[in-house]
Amino acid sequence: MTTIGRVTHFTVRNSTLNNVQANLQKMADLQAQMSSGKKINAASDDPSGTADVLRLQGEQRQLAQYGRNASDGEAWLTTINDALTTSLSTLRKARDLTVQGGNGALGINSRIALAQEIEGLRDNLLAQANTTYLGRSVFAGTTAGAAFTDGTTPVGAPDPAYTFSGSGVDGTVTRTVASGTNIRVDSSGAAVFGEGADSVFALLDSIAATLRAGGDPSDQLDAIDGHLDAMTTEVASVGARQNQIDAAQDLISQNSLTATTRLSAVQDIDLAQIILDLGAQEVAYKGALAAGAKVLQPTLLDFLR
Amino acid sequence: MSTFSGLGTALSSLIAQRQALEVSGQNIANANTVGYTRQRAAMASLPAATVPSMFSTSNGVGIGTAVTGIDRLGDAFLDARVRNETSGASRLAAVATEYKTLETTIGEPTATGFSKDLSSFWSSWSDVVNDPTSDSARSVLLQRGKAVADRLSTMHQDVGTQWQQALTTTSALVTQVNTTAANVADLNTRILAITNAGGSANELMDQRDLLVTQLSGLVGASARTRDDGTVDVMVAGNALVSGSSANQLAVSSDSPASLGDAMQAGAPAVSIVWARNDNPAGIEGGRVAGLLTTLAPQSEGGVLTSAAAQIDAVAKTLADSVNAVHTTGYTIDGYETGTPGGAFFTYDPANPARSLAVAITDPAGVAVAGAGKGAHDSSVGRELAALAKSTSGADATWAAFVVDLGVQSASASSRATVAEAARSTASAAQLAQTSVDTDEETVNMLAFQRAYEGAARVLTAVDEMLDTLINRTGVVGR
Repeated sequence: MTTIGRVTHFTVRNSTLNNVQANLQKMADLQAQMSSGKKINAASDDPSGTADVLRLQGEQRQLAQYGRNASDGEAWLTTINDALTTSLSTLRKARDLTVQGGNGALGINSRIALAQEIEGLRDNLLAQANTTYLGRSVFAGTTAGAAFTDGTTPVGAPDPAYTFSGSGVDGTVTRTVASGTNIRVDSSGAAVFGEGADSVFALLDSIAATLRAGGDPSDQLDAIDGHLDAMTTEVASVGARQNQIDAAQDLISQNSLTATTRLSAVQDIDLAQIILDLGAQEVAYKGALAAGAKVLQPTLLDFLR
Repeated sequence: MSTFSGLGTALSSLIAQRQALEVSGQNIANANTVGYTRQRAAMASLPAATVPSMFSTSNGVGIGTAVTGIDRLGDAFLDARVRNETSGASRLAAVATEYKTLETTIGEPTATGFSKDLSSFWSSWSDVVNDPTSDSARSVLLQRGKAVADRLSTMHQDVGTQWQQALTTTSALVTQVNTTAANVADLNTRILAITNAGGSANELMDQRDLLVTQLSGLVGASARTRDDGTVDVMVAGNALVSGSSANQLAVSSDSPASLGDAMQAGAPAVSIVWARNDNPAGIEGGRVAGLLTTLAPQSEGGVLTSAAAQIDAVAKTLADSVNAVHTTGYTIDGYETGTPGGAFFTYDPANPARSLAVAITDPAGVAVAGAGKGAHDSSVGRELAALAKSTSGADATWAAFVVDLGVQSASASSRATVAEAARSTASAAQLAQTSVDTDEETVNMLAFQRAYEGAARVLTAVDEMLDTLINRTGVVGR
């Protein structure tokens, strides 16, 4: 208030009213901050803070999405890992049977039995190769349908047996787990199982055929070992990628914690400080009211008879 | 020197004190009247009678007192200062209010703001990327896209509504200005008539000054007092009221009628003109000037038009960036036939935000597969999801707009607060001069009462003196 020469009841009343109003306004502001828990309720409260809030909120939502991407990727890799583990043991079993079939003392019936068993294992392997997750073949890459056709060559169809649907398509299934970090979550069926005549299925077919013909399939063992190597390599690669996703998930939870902390630092109130401020403001408000009550009441008339 | 002149002196005092008491009574009666200016009975002592003839005598004592007039204790300079400050404060307050309203429309930064809608939209692209065969993920994406488009359209319409309301308010205020100006002219006439007849028109002057201050708050009017006691009200150098005649203001008929019109290239600004000759009034102060600032076209920094243009820019950026990538992708069916996907968003370039819509209705129409990468590929979808982080994308444009609005709103608020403080100070200074102090009036009442009692006592004393002379003289020994 500037110095005013003349003071009247009117000016006293006005200034009292202004002061009380200003105090009440400050109390209302503090009250709003306390009840909303936020320092920034409109962009104009703190424009640069608003920029941070918008950025950090965007970052939080992005991280949440990365988290979901990572979980989905992990499910894919787990599915592939299971399929590969099963395939490995199946193929090892087939190898054992092939070694068994190399025994010259075996009768033809035993060989046919072995051949049948190997064909059973081939079907198992084919089923593993066509493993799906949420309706998609995990070994088929980005192509639609099953990863491998079965052993029969359909009449009039161009595809020979055990065709890999992903051949000629360079798309891979990846999940974005951080800005710019895409992790591949599928496996190429061709790399794991081979395709067409070079596939592990065709190999087992030929072993079974050798056994049925009374031959010795031992010379095929090297080929089986080659496929076993390919599968082991892929298991290692899947394991490495699972680790990568685990690490990414750790990073995501750390980053979202950081983002939450920073967001809170920018936009959340310091409760202790606000309560203190509110207390101080209340004292000022009461003071203004009390001063008003003291100044406004008396007039000269009270003292005149 | 008449024998009875003492009685006359006492009588003049009785009359004068009673009149002065009445003025105090009027002051106290109006202690709470807004715009009332306190008054004083100006008393002057009457000089001794001059000697009318050679043999008449005079003792040189004055012959009492008289009320020469009733003063109005205002201060024209304080009034002018109040009007000046009111003009500026009203203008800035109007701008700050519009900014506040706009901020409410924009609704950032809250958990439900538009940036949340945008994030959700980008997230749904990621979900489609994770499972391109899922129709549900695609449907969610389309709905989120629609939500984003609707939100932009709603915000743009809200800004349009605010513009319309500001224009309606301006028209209403101009009408109010015309009515008030006519009232001032009318009061001028009556004041002139009363003062010409020798009366006191103080109360009418109070009313008139209050109206002039209102005009300052509306159109930044200033007053110029004439010698005869009437005032001329000037707006930007031209007379709104000149003596007993008032001029009319009007909203120019060239003014755009809607936000859409105001945003056309080369659209004229909403302006106020003199009704009689359509010349621009050039209003620089008051609430009307503040509203005109917010209504101005974008080229002149209009608050609302700029905001609407920013929302349009966000819509355009969003649609263009999404479409540019989406048209390079393939749908699952389109992959087989080699037909790339179409545009995701459509909009009318003349009016992007309001016309923004999702062009795709069938969830299968979302194209996320890259060329030659397999029907279930989603590399294009990944590019789309990554637009969330683009530094020139919709999110960045939006954030920049929100922050810019925040800065401008904060600065408008603080300027309005400062101007209001200055107005309040000027007003306090004016009130200190003009307002009635009941204590002071009480003291005056006491003084007048005592003086009245004294004059009555003088009357009694003279009366007793004369009684002695008339009834007791010459009765010795009776």
